[in-house]
Amino acid sequence: MMIFNKAIPRRTFLRGAGATLALPLLDSMIPAFAGPAETVTKPVARIAFVYVPFGSIRNKWMPETEGAGYDLSPTLQPLAPFREHVLVLSGLDNRTSMAQPGEGGAHHTRASATYLTGVHPKATDGVDIRAGISADQQAARELGKHTQLASLELALDPPFNAGVCEPSFSCAYLNTLSWRTPTTPMPMEDKPRAVFERLFGDSETTDRAARLARIKENRSLLDDLTETVASLTGTLPASDRAKVNEYLEALRDVERRIQLAEEQSSRELPTLERPAGGYPASYEDYAKLMIDLQVLAFQTDMTRVITFMLAHELSNRSYPQIGIPDGHHGLSHHRGDPRQIAKIIKLNAYHVGIFGYYLDKFRSTRDGDGTLLDHSMIVYGSGIADGNLHTNEDLPILLAGSGIGKIKGGRHVRYPKGTPLTNLYLSMFEIAGVPVDKLGDSTGKLDHLSA
Amino acid sequence: MISRRILGLAGISFAISSSLIAARQPQAATNAAANTTPAVQYRTTINRYCVTCHNDKLKTAGLSLEKIDVENPPGGAEIWEKVIRKLRSNAMPLPGMPRPEKAFYDDFPAYLETSIDRAAFARLNPGRPAAHRLNRAEYVNSIRDLLSVEIDPESLLPSDDTGYGFDNIGDVLSISPTLLEKYFTAARKVSRLAIGDPAMRPVDEVFELPEDLIQAERMSEDLPLRSRGGTAIRYHFPADGDYIIKVRLLRDGGPTNGDGGTIRGVALKRQFDIRLDKERLKLFSVGGEHFGKSGDEGDEYDRGDPRQVEYETRGADANLEVRVPVKAGPHVVGVAFVIAADTAPEGVIRGRLRRGGKNAEPAVKSITIRGPFNAKSLGETPSRQKIFICRPGEAGSGNAAIKLASLNPGTDADSCAQKLLSSLAHRAYRRPVTENDLQHLLKFYKTGERQGGFEVGIRMALERLLVGPEFLFRTEKDPPNAAPGTVFRISDLELASRLSFFLWSSIPDDELLGLAERGRLKDPVVLDQQVRRMLQDPRSQALATNFAGQWLQTRKLSEIQPDISEFPDYDINLKEAFAQETELFLQSMLEENHPLMDLLDANYTFLNERLARHYGIPNVYGSSFRRVTLADENRRGLLGQGSVLMLTSYPNRTSVVLRGVWLLTNILASPPPPPPPNAPPLKDRGDDGRIKPVRESMEEHRANPACAACHMRMDPLGFALENFNAIGQWRTTEGTANTPIDNSGQLPEGTKFKGPVELRRVLMSKPDQFATSVIEKLLTYALGRGVEYYDEPVVRKIRRETAPEYRWPALVQAIVKSEPFQMTRTREP
Repeated sequence: MMIFNKAIPRRTFLRGAGATLALPLLDSMIPAFAGPAETVTKPVARIAFVYVPFGSIRNKWMPETEGAGYDLSPTLQPLAPFREHVLVLSGLDNRTSMAQPGEGGAHHTRASATYLTGVHPKATDGVDIRAGISADQQAARELGKHTQLASLELALDPPFNAGVCEPSFSCAYLNTLSWRTPTTPMPMEDKPRAVFERLFGDSETTDRAARLARIKENRSLLDDLTETVASLTGTLPASDRAKVNEYLEALRDVERRIQLAEEQSSRELPTLERPAGGYPASYEDYAKLMIDLQVLAFQTDMTRVITFMLAHELSNRSYPQIGIPDGHHGLSHHRGDPRQIAKIIKLNAYHVGIFGYYLDKFRSTRDGDGTLLDHSMIVYGSGIADGNLHTNEDLPILLAGSGIGKIKGGRHVRYPKGTPLTNLYLSMFEIAGVPVDKLGDSTGKLDHLSA
Repeated sequence: MISRRILGLAGISFAISSSLIAARQPQAATNAAANTTPAVQYRTTINRYCVTCHNDKLKTAGLSLEKIDVENPPGGAEIWEKVIRKLRSNAMPLPGMPRPEKAFYDDFPAYLETSIDRAAFARLNPGRPAAHRLNRAEYVNSIRDLLSVEIDPESLLPSDDTGYGFDNIGDVLSISPTLLEKYFTAARKVSRLAIGDPAMRPVDEVFELPEDLIQAERMSEDLPLRSRGGTAIRYHFPADGDYIIKVRLLRDGGPTNGDGGTIRGVALKRQFDIRLDKERLKLFSVGGEHFGKSGDEGDEYDRGDPRQVEYETRGADANLEVRVPVKAGPHVVGVAFVIAADTAPEGVIRGRLRRGGKNAEPAVKSITIRGPFNAKSLGETPSRQKIFICRPGEAGSGNAAIKLASLNPGTDADSCAQKLLSSLAHRAYRRPVTENDLQHLLKFYKTGERQGGFEVGIRMALERLLVGPEFLFRTEKDPPNAAPGTVFRISDLELASRLSFFLWSSIPDDELLGLAERGRLKDPVVLDQQVRRMLQDPRSQALATNFAGQWLQTRKLSEIQPDISEFPDYDINLKEAFAQETELFLQSMLEENHPLMDLLDANYTFLNERLARHYGIPNVYGSSFRRVTLADENRRGLLGQGSVLMLTSYPNRTSVVLRGVWLLTNILASPPPPPPPNAPPLKDRGDDGRIKPVRESMEEHRANPACAACHMRMDPLGFALENFNAIGQWRTTEGTANTPIDNSGQLPEGTKFKGPVELRRVLMSKPDQFATSVIEKLLTYALGRGVEYYDEPVVRKIRRETAPEYRWPALVQAIVKSEPFQMTRTREP
């Protein structure tokens, strides 16, 4: 066999750089597009979760004072321009991520699996993974009734796909924060082009006739497949039906989307060029492109729920562009070394800076009679408090956005010891009109969000 | 009375003497004295050495051995298998605790194994893999084999979740709405590529090269010998027509999307050519033109004459394009700088000398293929030939076409469609096609045919085929009315699928499918022949790529980013070379019938010039990979390869622990337990603030008994490899203080070694451990489910059958013949 004449596989050498969907595009978009139907009369709540791994260096993150006049801490300085739209919440716990007997050191896995679910994940290496329904998916069940996509999940790290991650736990728990059912993890998209295609289909263009033709094709496929699966499941042993039922569930979800797409097909969409494929060369460009796509998704009401990881738990990405050649995970185990700590502080602030870009885009995007930021609730935080010691109490959490006037920002609120993070999600559900009053380890809603 | 007393005295003296004998020969005497079975002795030993920790109250590591019945190993097989594993690898009791004598470590496991195996084979549990959705690799390969279309997996489908270290585990492969939509999109793309779409609008396909790829040498086998930089792309042209191929060069400075920056190397006059299937389409002169004064690179205010600036930022590569008619199908597009004929041959240029600028060597940033324009007929691509075994208006197969002009074209087309779609479905669904199957496909054919004719009809039917559960899922049927827990042999068709997905990660081919349909796979001779044939087939590369890549975790390589300030010589080309070396090496292991140990000890590897220089091996020239015999013993086998050495290190330093864990897990079949929560950090600086050499900072692992238990098994293995730095280079000192490397290690049981060669000898002295590990992994991969305790008897049997060399083809054959592979059982309710 002529193995030596093989051209080195294209994929190993080639990576695409996304075309930046920069502001100018959005400017030209605004006259053409129509936002959500109810905008003028009743603004629509959006929910987003932005995640960073490994917690923070507490003494630089946590403001020392509380209340409305609190002093912004060093790490949170990049958010100074948005002070009035941000609540610093401290004292919230993620206790379900604690190790159970026999589980050993899989802290990051548990932090990741519990952050949005409040349910301790099952310690398994592959068979029967199980967590709980996550907060974003609970919200999506309600809010997704009106949008083509129930929710959108993105990450700036590719999924772990080789070998074992942390002992006793499947890598599936690290690859996502989002669980549609206790046994269905939602994959997180890390390629800008794929996100674009999720939003606007795989056409090169957002042209209406092409979209309609596509919708019709998909519908007939769906109808036939539903029939096929029905007859297939009859012949299968009970144990295998569950697998094929997942397929059926997925079909139904796609069908719902198609239906909405039909109803909304008259809507003008901005003229956009699909990103080329692969990843932008610089992390910042990558992050910004993914953020731009998220803003677009909210603006066009493609979805109202987004979950976004700036990096996975256990990520070992290095940040040479700010002078940090060390892998993030290794760095987070600083063992008290002041040099390492300084680097982490810098990295924490860097990520907060990217969140600042996020808030800036939201604030500069008109949404009905206000801005996207006015009508959103965005949680920024981590499932681990101290990355070196793997603690899960008093997590670094921010709540940004005004939640259609129901949230009063500009304050640092400290909650009593033992308050679960999931209580925050219940409060968000109430504001957004999601009829769920228990999630994982929640004990009730959080007070003091509105004043 | 007296007689009783005498007897009593005799009894005492007998007891005394027997206890004296007992002191000298414990087993024999106890046997003789009380007629105890080995089981009782073993129980005594367990009580003495194990139950101190593993009792009902403490349940250390969740295990208690206090009450388990030693006389009935099969009854407690799940626990006993754990015990066997620990004893066979000498891992328990923990170092430092009192240990039973050496014989126990062989006798007791042997006793357990014999008993468990006997019971197991009398009433076998072959397990049951879950219904299995095709993973990404399997999907792509199946499309290739079904339609002769090559697609790029990463752009179409997300990667799959893994379990037990592999991405083909049925239970873990779920299907979410996102994934289903991607299958819809993929089916559309694939069917258009395969059949062609005459209504297709011109599209842009852009291929970008990473900025840190060094383009200093010939980049591919598909580029001319005297070329530098650029790349070769294999691209499936969707239709016959004209295409524009446009090249954009790399720019320095300016915003990161490249506009506005100065073209690298624009001051140098160079030749550049674009080729299609190695034939030159056009030769260009690029760079070195003057339209005015050039700016000073060091001075941001001196940009130079505007016309020159225009040339340097936009004009120099504006004409690097060519419009050419291309026939549909796969072709290789090559773009590269050409080295003039009268220049002396160059070695590999160290591109890093000049990081960028107008006088650095130019490089390619992206290639855009735009088209088709004036799309004409859909041509005869390999995929069209494969699909269209008949045409409307012709009866019979494509080869023996007879034009039956008198027949009604409608019926003709329909019967051809039926024939064609049956054939496709037969191979895609991996079983005979039912009326029902055909009806579903014909429904779509008719819709498409009404819209746009015969070929559009086929295309729509193909889309339906590619998203259906019949294609995407592998399911196995139970016999009707079987009681739960019934064990039965899977059908030949199901076996054929298991075989082809195991060895090729793809659908069975016609030969295998045909034999299965005729029930011939039940014949062990036929099965044997097929396995041998399949291993010889090029498609078995999938085994090296997918199995070995995941087992040894070399896939992780793509995520690793060494610290450039520590390793200024490192670049992407090197990482690609590492991956290529190991892939070629693993393939040779499978193809050339090597014994298992050659993985560690082979005296050859595959190198190109870049890699050879990195390893310090002389006399290897050129960018293509070739087999090289290794003179240096230290480099032999996997442990001398950059891929393994790099993925077991941190970005800026080596890790003896990571290396030790890798070896324990993958070679010695005894993965260490996870670290305890909140293990305190190691100090890597001394009290005086200087950085400690690695060995010194690891001292704490040894000094602290809580750490030593596990670390004294891991660290010594890693120490022996310390001469290899974090990117696989050989070194004899470390750190800025140039501390000499101490590569000695000692295992808890006393074995000592120094350096890689001696380490290898120690690893190779335990071939059974290694073989067990490999067999378990291979079985996991072959079955698509994790290996459970009830599979261990099978693992042991396979090991016996393939000992002592454990050659790869023998391992594969043994797995294929094994009960879990050929049988299954109905689930318990």
